[in-house]
Amino acid sequence: MTTLLILVPLIGLILVNLPFKNARRTTFWYAVMLSLMQAYIVLTSDKIIWEGHFDPIEEYFKFNLKADNLTLVMLLSIGIVAFCALMVAKHMIKDEGDLANFSNLIIIILAGMNGVVMTTDVFTLYIFLEITAVTSFIMIAFFRDKDALEGSFKYIVLSAVATVLLLASIALVFMVSGGTSFEAINRAVHANNENLILTAALALFTAGLLIKGGLVPFHGWLPDAYSSAPAPASVILAGIVTKTTGIYSLIRIVNNVFGFSGSIKNILLFVGIITIFVGALAALGQKDFKRMLAYSSISQVGYIVISLGTGTELGLIGAMFHLFNHSIFKAQLFVNSAAVEKQAGTRDLDKMGGFSKKMPFTGLTSLIACLSTAGIPPLAGFWSKLIIIVALWNSGHPVFAGAAVLASVITLGYFLVLQRKAFFGKLAEGYEQLCEAEFGLILPAIILTLITVAVGLLFPLLSNNTLIPMSHIF
Amino acid sequence: MSKDAASLFWLYNTFVILVFLCGIYLVAVTKNLIKVLIGLELLTKAATLLIIVAGYSTGHIATAQALIINLIVVEVVVIAVAAGVVLSIRKKYGSLNVKNISNLKG
Repeated sequence: MTTLLILVPLIGLILVNLPFKNARRTTFWYAVMLSLMQAYIVLTSDKIIWEGHFDPIEEYFKFNLKADNLTLVMLLSIGIVAFCALMVAKHMIKDEGDLANFSNLIIIILAGMNGVVMTTDVFTLYIFLEITAVTSFIMIAFFRDKDALEGSFKYIVLSAVATVLLLASIALVFMVSGGTSFEAINRAVHANNENLILTAALALFTAGLLIKGGLVPFHGWLPDAYSSAPAPASVILAGIVTKTTGIYSLIRIVNNVFGFSGSIKNILLFVGIITIFVGALAALGQKDFKRMLAYSSISQVGYIVISLGTGTELGLIGAMFHLFNHSIFKAQLFVNSAAVEKQAGTRDLDKMGGFSKKMPFTGLTSLIACLSTAGIPPLAGFWSKLIIIVALWNSGHPVFAGAAVLASVITLGYFLVLQRKAFFGKLAEGYEQLCEAEFGLILPAIILTLITVAVGLLFPLLSNNTLIPMSHIF
Repeated sequence: MSKDAASLFWLYNTFVILVFLCGIYLVAVTKNLIKVLIGLELLTKAATLLIIVAGYSTGHIATAQALIINLIVVEVVVIAVAAGVVLSIRKKYGSLNVKNISNLKG
């Protein structure tokens, strides 16, 4: 099963691009089918098929893939967000050839991210990270606008630097352990306690992943790339790509490979708290809809990292749960921004106003996503933030817990600014003809809102059946 | 590690660090986009050499070679895409100087 999630997209990619008459027209529907199938398989499948024992394909393709509970959560969000990005692409990209090209990119990035979340080897991780990164460079620069090219180039430079750090770290690890699989490294870490080379390797790897995830000292590329990318590309980038390549890999590497030590915990806690505040304060001053969302994204990723920094089981559950929630509601806010951009033709918050009257669905879904991000009960974001704050408190960091609560208030502040400027109040001049976006563009927003509300309301059920068992992997 | 290998090990490592510093210097100082790409290539080359040194010093030279072949393929793809972006920038802006390309602000 695990191998199929990479092979089926790749083989299909070749088939839909064969020079037959209508092959390219099927690309979009093939990509939609892939993303939906992925979400469906994860939700309904038995645990056994993920172990990889009864897999005849595994005999021929030895990728050494493995899927545990954390992986399944990521696979589910990858499927959902990719579907939403495709729906947005269908309505934002008019040209049929462009749509087929964009769907191809989504298929590649789907395979790349599936690889990142399932791999058990640092070198394979590097290769899948590069597949994902290269696809996102192309997606950002898709229409070759001036701004998009600049955003893409910034991303390329910082991503290349991150890659070099990862490779140097892999080389150092290889020097000590003689292998690159997670198990071999883990053995080496246990055998050589406090080895200088291994500590340096962990530091380099963490720095590389912090660049990929857009954490604060290295966040310069992120707002530019997100805000200049075409709308469907920013949905998938903000929704899942940086979370998979940066944050998920960080959780995997720190938790399953190197293990927690005092210094790594402190680094993650400090980076996390600085990221939360810098992201939130920068978001307050933004005039561009997508830039504000990008800074908010930085700030929310800080919560995930700070939660990981506690190093406790509860902290890891919080990190994972917030990762899922964040990918859902951030993807949704970017879908809303796409709808507003398409209907109103602007992203400047100062020119907007009162859009809720003309676009009721977009206004309502965006309000719910904003409230969820800010952590208002009973929405999904409230529960994950609650777990994070409790985890911080329990692990003996009351100052960080207090700061996290304070930053949550700032989050509410900038999102109320966004809502008031864009959706509430008097209708701005010149928008009398404004109307609601097409159904296809509202559909992903509605689906994602329903997930946010459902996860929030059903939390007591989920916490016993899904979240607590999830922690057994740690 | 034999005595020869040990002395070579430090020689190789010094060389790796030199290449790395050259790359960092180039990326930091230059104003030309193509030269930025060359600097990034130098950085990657330093990492590649470090993997060879690691394989050589631990006796896993075959694994190191396998890793490096994959690495070179991936790196070529990245640099091809990056060169494509630089080419488009040249067409749109009519310049390769970093100073002219700063519409967006962090």
